[in-house]
Amino acid sequence: MLGPMQSDPHKRGVHDLGGAGGWGRIPYEPDEPPFHADWERRVFGLLGAVTSATARRPGEFRYALERLHPDDYFDNGYFGRWLAGFEVLLAEYEVFDPVDYSARLEARTGPIPSEVRRMSPERRVAPVADRVPSMLPPDRPVPVPQRRTVRRDLAEPPRFRAGDRVVAPTPTQPGHTRLPGYVMDKPGTVAKLHPAEVLPDSTAHNRGERPQHVYCVGYDARTLWGDDAEPNATVYVDLYECYLTAAESD
Amino acid sequence: MHDEHGHGHHEHHDASSPEVRVEALEDLLVERGLADPERIDATIRRFEHDIGPMIGARLVAEAWADAGLRQRLLTDADAVVADMDIRGAEIEHIEVKANEPGVHNVVVCTLCSCYPWALLGLPPNWYKSPEYRARVVREPRAVLAEMGLELDPSTEVRIWDSSSETRFLVLPERPAGTEGWPAERLAELVTRDSMIGVAHAADPGGH
Repeated sequence: MLGPMQSDPHKRGVHDLGGAGGWGRIPYEPDEPPFHADWERRVFGLLGAVTSATARRPGEFRYALERLHPDDYFDNGYFGRWLAGFEVLLAEYEVFDPVDYSARLEARTGPIPSEVRRMSPERRVAPVADRVPSMLPPDRPVPVPQRRTVRRDLAEPPRFRAGDRVVAPTPTQPGHTRLPGYVMDKPGTVAKLHPAEVLPDSTAHNRGERPQHVYCVGYDARTLWGDDAEPNATVYVDLYECYLTAAESD
Repeated sequence: MHDEHGHGHHEHHDASSPEVRVEALEDLLVERGLADPERIDATIRRFEHDIGPMIGARLVAEAWADAGLRQRLLTDADAVVADMDIRGAEIEHIEVKANEPGVHNVVVCTLCSCYPWALLGLPPNWYKSPEYRARVVREPRAVLAEMGLELDPSTEVRIWDSSSETRFLVLPERPAGTEGWPAERLAELVTRDSMIGVAHAADPGGH
């Protein structure tokens, strides 16, 4: 069993797996079906209902999964972490009472031993981190599209162009981000721009849209992994403008 | 995980098992009017039968058969997807990356499991596994070799980590020996794995 949930922003979250050591062979199965059990079908089918009642903002559902205890994150795979995320969100949004839910589980299976009681928040999930608005980029008024989309049209020109050298420093506060740990503080090169999007680091914390230009940044494998790097490989990561600063040219 | 003293049809599951939990959770949501079992069934059916790699395969096959379309797909996939009336989840913005001699592309999402659902259906478990997410950015050649794809050392590997709402699709190389094939026949060679970038398109001799 792992220790208590961490809120140190320098510690990578349970989900931030890129480049992490200790993982073995890929569980590869050619022509895998989308579901392996009926419970996975039901979990998938419930996504729309659960997120409509709870996590409606971009990044919010992902952030719920990122706050899970590693047991809940890994034990039952992808749909297992969705299910645990549903339970967390439904409790946090007070859609149902965890006691009521536990009673229903017990009605099906008999008394739940306290060590596996599913809705024990302190064991299962880290709280939503307090995101300080002054540490986010300023919000800016942009037309909100008619259809549901994270894309926004920005009047301001992008700060960087293809070919620019950039670096994304390690964030100074905890919370949701789409900046993978393995590229933090490493120099990369802007390959191209993607359409601008709302900032999930802000929306997941209910701090407004704060839309950003989004860059595809290429990192030479040797920059990321040093002498261990395989030859002739580039990793491309999509990063929001507020993550990036200009890197010294080399 | 076996509950020896249980009764009825749940006797093999304890209260922490996902089988029991999702049933209780669905019951609660349905009672509150927040979920509709028929809509849940319809969503599941759609992703088991109607939405899958055959949609992306059609796109790839059309691009193999039509150089103009291929060019448009590589420069403005959103327009091509809209023209072909492909709609659905997880394709807010699509980029298509072409494999060619000397360049191989492979897609991952290290932070979660982002994947172009409306083009490929739901991702396979291996794509969502911590093993794939952790390793393919660090040792792509080793991972691909493990999955049966040996790359020449001179081939450049490009790994696309889906960290924004852009989704990536790999355009595999058209297999030799398929000259003059119509798109419908070409589409049979376009596997899901080849559009993620962990395999080549199927060998036409195998069909």
